[in-house]
Amino acid sequence: MQGVIIFDSSTLISLSMNGLLEELGKLKKIFDGKFIITNDVKKEVVDNPINVKRFELEALRVMRLMRDGVIEMPDSLGIKSHEIEERKRKMMEIANNMFLGNKKSIHLIHDGEASCLALSRILLEKKIPHIIAIDERTTRMLGEKPENLKELLTKKLSTNVQLQRKDFKYFRGFRFIRSTELMYIAWKKGLLGLQDGKTVLDAVLWALKFKGCAISGDEIQEIKAIK
Amino acid sequence: MKERENILRILEETKEAIKIDNAARIKELSNQTTNTASLTQDPDNIAVAVIIYSISKIMERKDYRNLKGWESFYRILTTSLDRTIEDVRKEDEKAFRSDFEMIRKAINKLSGKLKRYIEEVFRSAEINKASRLYEHGISMEQTAQLLGITMYELADYAGKTGISDVPVSQTMDAKARIKLAMEMFE
Repeated sequence: MQGVIIFDSSTLISLSMNGLLEELGKLKKIFDGKFIITNDVKKEVVDNPINVKRFELEALRVMRLMRDGVIEMPDSLGIKSHEIEERKRKMMEIANNMFLGNKKSIHLIHDGEASCLALSRILLEKKIPHIIAIDERTTRMLGEKPENLKELLTKKLSTNVQLQRKDFKYFRGFRFIRSTELMYIAWKKGLLGLQDGKTVLDAVLWALKFKGCAISGDEIQEIKAIK
Repeated sequence: MKERENILRILEETKEAIKIDNAARIKELSNQTTNTASLTQDPDNIAVAVIIYSISKIMERKDYRNLKGWESFYRILTTSLDRTIEDVRKEDEKAFRSDFEMIRKAINKLSGKLKRYIEEVFRSAEINKASRLYEHGISMEQTAQLLGITMYELADYAGKTGISDVPVSQTMDAKARIKLAMEMFE
């Protein structure tokens, strides 16, 4: 069955700012499935930056990917925007009331991130294999280790943050990758167009980190050590 | 307005620090605003965090004081700060927002280098504070929305910090995540 990679804005931004969108196009050619973005993500990577001179070019590059069919919208899977919207609202309501600081909810995530989670849930129900590509860390931590997010919030906010454990179940089962894993595959498959072996991999992973991909230096070393 | 007492204290102490020309103290006060801004995500608290940080950066740069327009800018800054303190004391939020905005609008009365420099300080302060909120655990998109900046600006800035090197950020073994990605391409 064809698979789906759901892209959050953070991943497209890291790739775009490193001039790696062409490589994303090459990856799409060897991928049996679709690369999908939601309306909310499109707003963040195209509709808003197109009005900011400094990022207008990045927005145009993502638009070209859409025009070329590298990135598609959920309706290409027969999923209507209102379906995502309803799920997104629910996701945001739960996520943004899951952590309490000084007895008040901490608003953690916004529409784009929540829409990726919502689409993931819809695809899960439709039994379509999929994964979320997200470079920002909060949503990933929420889905993979909410306890770590609690620890981070408690430490950084210098207050005792409480976690509503009953809501854990809503965030179980999400699977996340980042731009770094995608570019590792591009490197592994010889799609990067540079021939300097692991030096290229090192350069690409660090470049993505420096443009906002939430990966640690240690993780980069681990990835480079993979045979 | 949330945490009114805290805002009042920060503004009063900032006023005193300006009087004695203590930029380091203003920066310290600005850091104290970040926690409250992250927790409450209240626009007034966020505005205070950005402006106080900007003031600390402006006061740090003693060379700005020799530029044309400095005296006028300084006068508007201190007068507006006095007014905002009164507004908070009187619990007049509308007046507070209007007077606080005067600090930013003081730029419009400037020209030349000082105008350019101070505009840049305010813009950089927004990105810096956004990065701090992201560091505190608020998502990238939520933070960008709160500060009115693009995610491109935030990603570019945050990537140069050590935010993603914090051990609790690692939520899965790197090899396992690569395996997840590879499986999608099999």
